[in-house]
Amino acid sequence: MTKTLRQVGIDLQESEDNRALIEAIEGDNPDLTIRHLPGLIKLQAPGQIVINRQSVEAKLGREWETGEFQLAIVSYAGNFSEWDDDQIIVNWEH
Amino acid sequence: MTTVQPRAKKLPLKERYSLLTRDLDWEPSYVSRERLYPYTSYEGIKIHDWDGWTDPFRLTVDAYYKYQAEKDKRLYAVLDSFAQSQGHLSLSDASYLNAIKIFIQGVTPLEYAAHRHFAFLARYLEGPAPRFAALCQSVDELRHAQTQIHTISNYNKYYGGFHSWSKMHDRVWYLSVPKSLFDDAMTAGPFEFLISISFSFEYLLTNLLFVPFMSGASFNGDLPTMTFGFSAQSDESRHMTLGLEAIKFLLEQDEDNVPIIQDWIDKWFWRAYRMSALVAGMMDYMLPKPVMSWREAFELYFEDQMLGGLFPDLDFYGIKPPRHVDLAIGEKDHLGHQVYKILHNFSFAAAFTTSTPTDEHMAWLSEQYPSTFDRHYRPTWEKHRRIEAAGGRAFFQGLPQLCQVCQVPMAFTEPSDPTRISFRHSEYRGETFHTCSDGCKWIFDREPEKYVQAWLPVHQIYQGNCGGPTVPDVLNWYGIKEGDNGEYRGSADNTSWLEWHK
Amino acid sequence: MTVKALYDYTFPSADRAENFGDDQLVFVHWAGNPFFCSAAAFRAPKAIPFAEFIQTMVEPWAASDPDFDSAAVRNWRLFDQPLDTGDGGKTLLDLGVTHKALLSFDA
Repeated sequence: MTKTLRQVGIDLQESEDNRALIEAIEGDNPDLTIRHLPGLIKLQAPGQIVINRQSVEAKLGREWETGEFQLAIVSYAGNFSEWDDDQIIVNWEH
Repeated sequence: MTTVQPRAKKLPLKERYSLLTRDLDWEPSYVSRERLYPYTSYEGIKIHDWDGWTDPFRLTVDAYYKYQAEKDKRLYAVLDSFAQSQGHLSLSDASYLNAIKIFIQGVTPLEYAAHRHFAFLARYLEGPAPRFAALCQSVDELRHAQTQIHTISNYNKYYGGFHSWSKMHDRVWYLSVPKSLFDDAMTAGPFEFLISISFSFEYLLTNLLFVPFMSGASFNGDLPTMTFGFSAQSDESRHMTLGLEAIKFLLEQDEDNVPIIQDWIDKWFWRAYRMSALVAGMMDYMLPKPVMSWREAFELYFEDQMLGGLFPDLDFYGIKPPRHVDLAIGEKDHLGHQVYKILHNFSFAAAFTTSTPTDEHMAWLSEQYPSTFDRHYRPTWEKHRRIEAAGGRAFFQGLPQLCQVCQVPMAFTEPSDPTRISFRHSEYRGETFHTCSDGCKWIFDREPEKYVQAWLPVHQIYQGNCGGPTVPDVLNWYGIKEGDNGEYRGSADNTSWLEWHK
Repeated sequence: MTVKALYDYTFPSADRAENFGDDQLVFVHWAGNPFFCSAAAFRAPKAIPFAEFIQTMVEPWAASDPDFDSAAVRNWRLFDQPLDTGDGGKTLLDLGVTHKALLSFDA
């Protein structure tokens, strides 16, 4: 089954901590678009968005657990198809 | 760039999650499974393998409390700072707070109701993974009720309408709209509740119900509510996930579940959409600095994200977009105006105030609703302006006709003709019941045994169950006090505001 | 379709006629007037003459609209059917206006 390329989205809180997170996500997702709204940052990409712990740690300059992503997220459009110690993936299943 | 040190060996997230949730479960031996879980078969839903439920967030209790405590710390720091700096004085205007009065009266009690029912699910769902997810949501919803109360309590010191929100939720006419929705959900079975609240409310319509209040807060200087919103939203992403997981799990377990789920989606989309009408009125008319129109929010959060994003995904299971969705789409240029007319007509009996829109605001409405505002709604608002210029203020001197299902005054119009009120009715056991739309009539006709029991505020007043026959009797029974109700201009809130900003 | 329940789910209706004794609920709609968000709900005696119902209950409500002119009231309908109210002397019950009926008029 071909993966559909509908837009997947994640909305993050605009905060100091999240700057590094967003830079890391941008680095790992070349087709990512970023929109700024008051207090909110909307990320969108066709098909999927991947968050890699190692990339986030590299930008943040400290250890980071994927669980911390819970503090950043506001809303999302898609499915969390994977969430383990190293990676989070949001996409549409069908 | 800092070099990252290799970390100490830890149990992988997947394994920890399994050990601390699923692996703590056991097969009952002292009682039968049916006796331990008496509610999971009567709805006709078939589950073959409860282990098919996955929780992508893989939350365990220790992680849960760690992150929630951090969120609370951040929130309360902001609440303290706002109170200490007299932040309420930098709101756009005191009239903004009418939206927040509706929020604490209408939404906060629903958070508490959700807390109770998710606690019920945390006991009575048969699988350990959904039980744990429900337990986390139960604590989340209690957190939301508590944080909303704390957030909004600061305004109670200076403005009317906030003081008796819980009592008002149980008694006041416009609050029976949200209350009856949750009562309907809580009196359904566990699977219907998951589709009604976890899916329809917390996934399908959550952005439409929630984001307008939070963005409205941000645009109007309401730092505490905005911060509460962001603080709760990260919980909401888990709730959305539970909702989506619930629906997929049920659809994947047995093909026979599909038509039952479809019916529930059809019912609950419409139920929650009708309740969201209050949000439409708020967005279009009650924010001194408006964020966006209801129309725009509906297009973005529902038509694009849900009809365009989610439903194509659910099509795989044979699920179609909700019945009557075309009616909702057809109403988007009218809903906010028709609902605010209700609130404006009746705020003498409400715990908030309303006023006729200014010229500036009407110009914004013209721009946002080019095909409807000037033609259908501006003339009436201008008539109100003329009455007020002559020193009057017109209210609806009577009680409205209510819809038996959504309980909103029947102010909605025919899809084909916005100058004609939409009237529908049904007969059941020889008695007539009125509904506002094809959507509500379908819901009534499907489960009349339920809706004939509805506690309709207007009918209860006429039965003498609301404190007495006169308006002051009823307002007293409602707990509405001098300064809470009526017209905003010249009200206690307005007078205080002008005094504080001399 | 009936409600799915674990037991016999039969309950009385909250607004059944007997709860109103000799009175009943009547809804009145001023057709085509957007000044009122909706029709109004009244509790009226079943035996009230129509003209008295209009004068004592409906007109005070309709006068919320400062442009209301009682002489202009015409074309009464009972649900979708024209209602001949005659000289106003017949009672609601005589006219077939029963519990929770919907009346509409133009003005």
